[in-house]
Amino acid sequence: MDLLTTSVATVDSDGEPYTLVEVVGEADVTNCDALREVLEAEVAKQPRTMIIDLSGLRFMDSSALHVILRANRSMDRQGGVLALASPREPVAKMLRLTAADQLIPVYASVSEATAG
Amino acid sequence: MADSATLTRAFRHVGFFYRTEDEYAATVAGFLRDGLAAGDPAFAAIPAVRIELVRGALGADAPRVQFADMTEMGRNPARIIPRVRAFATEHAGRRVRYVGEPIWGSRSPAELREATRHEALINVAFADADADILCPYDTTGLSPAIIDDAMRTHPLLLSDGVHEASPMYTVPFRIPSSCSLPLPAPPHDAMFHTYRRDLSEVRALVLKHARDAGLTDSRANDLVLAVSEVAANTLRHTQSEGILVIWHDPDEIVCEIHDEGTITDPLAGRRRPAPDSLGGHGLWLVHQVCDLVELRSDQSGTTIRMHMAIRPRPAGG
Repeated sequence: MDLLTTSVATVDSDGEPYTLVEVVGEADVTNCDALREVLEAEVAKQPRTMIIDLSGLRFMDSSALHVILRANRSMDRQGGVLALASPREPVAKMLRLTAADQLIPVYASVSEATAG
Repeated sequence: MADSATLTRAFRHVGFFYRTEDEYAATVAGFLRDGLAAGDPAFAAIPAVRIELVRGALGADAPRVQFADMTEMGRNPARIIPRVRAFATEHAGRRVRYVGEPIWGSRSPAELREATRHEALINVAFADADADILCPYDTTGLSPAIIDDAMRTHPLLLSDGVHEASPMYTVPFRIPSSCSLPLPAPPHDAMFHTYRRDLSEVRALVLKHARDAGLTDSRANDLVLAVSEVAANTLRHTQSEGILVIWHDPDEIVCEIHDEGTITDPLAGRRRPAPDSLGGHGLWLVHQVCDLVELRSDQSGTTIRMHMAIRPRPAGG
């Protein structure tokens, strides 16, 4: 079983499509390159909104955080919005301690993230 | 030797040696009041047991001083510098006044070494800052060796109401040798594990041992994050394997990582990275979640020992 799996979907929410990336497992320095490839490919499609569903992510280290921060920069630059949804407590705490949660909006669920 | 420049430059770092509560209250309150009179924002991080004492001596001025319980804020002494830096940043462009008491008698030997290292690093971290810093030392409750180190880490001393340049402070700056004594060997029943790429296994081992030792889930996850960040550095910065060692006693669990990397920055992990920074978060997180971190590094390699208390301890001071 892979340590980290990702799946991507384009979801239609009231006629406003957004990209949903689901990340499951443990994200660290050993697999953050794969995560970066997935996120870069989606960012390149220039969605207006990209939501990363973290509900299945058991662990995230600073290497994986940097991949997400990089995606956030790219989304910013092209006028889009990146949001994070439903992090488990250890991941949420890490986002607080690094103040990444002040840079990227973090929502309790995907539906709250789409409500913006 | 301290030179005259030490006495006149904008940054003042004073070791204050006291014997009685009255002396403590009058001197600390007087120092804070002098700052308030000059319009300087003032912050006091001292053990909770002495906060009311200082508030009482300040009287009507007390609400103008920001207080923090140093037994919480400085439990891991490596968290103090970024906290004081944040206070200075909140008041950017103004001279700030700070009382910091990171050393008290009930601290463990490892904590005392790291609190003394912190005192030495204040001189580097705030060398260019416009700041008055006063650090009280209880000469009746602390060992002579601790007081000697306080004389090494403070350019200025205040004792019996008299200010003087410390005869033991050296320029250029040095960390007292007592802070970098070899770490005591792990106990014989410690668990050893060698890793290279499988950090998931490293995390699983830490989580299992942390739970077995009695850490709460939240603190066990904190320790998992810290160890994983340090082990990730082995992959990033070395070509060889790292060694994880874990042990615990009734008071604390300790996780140690040893690898062939070298860390030369004495302030590593003591600066808050900008939120969008793409580096510098690893050791920052380690210090934010661990109760104490010991680090030894030279050309032959780096050992980082992360401590988490299992039982809450009575507040010190």
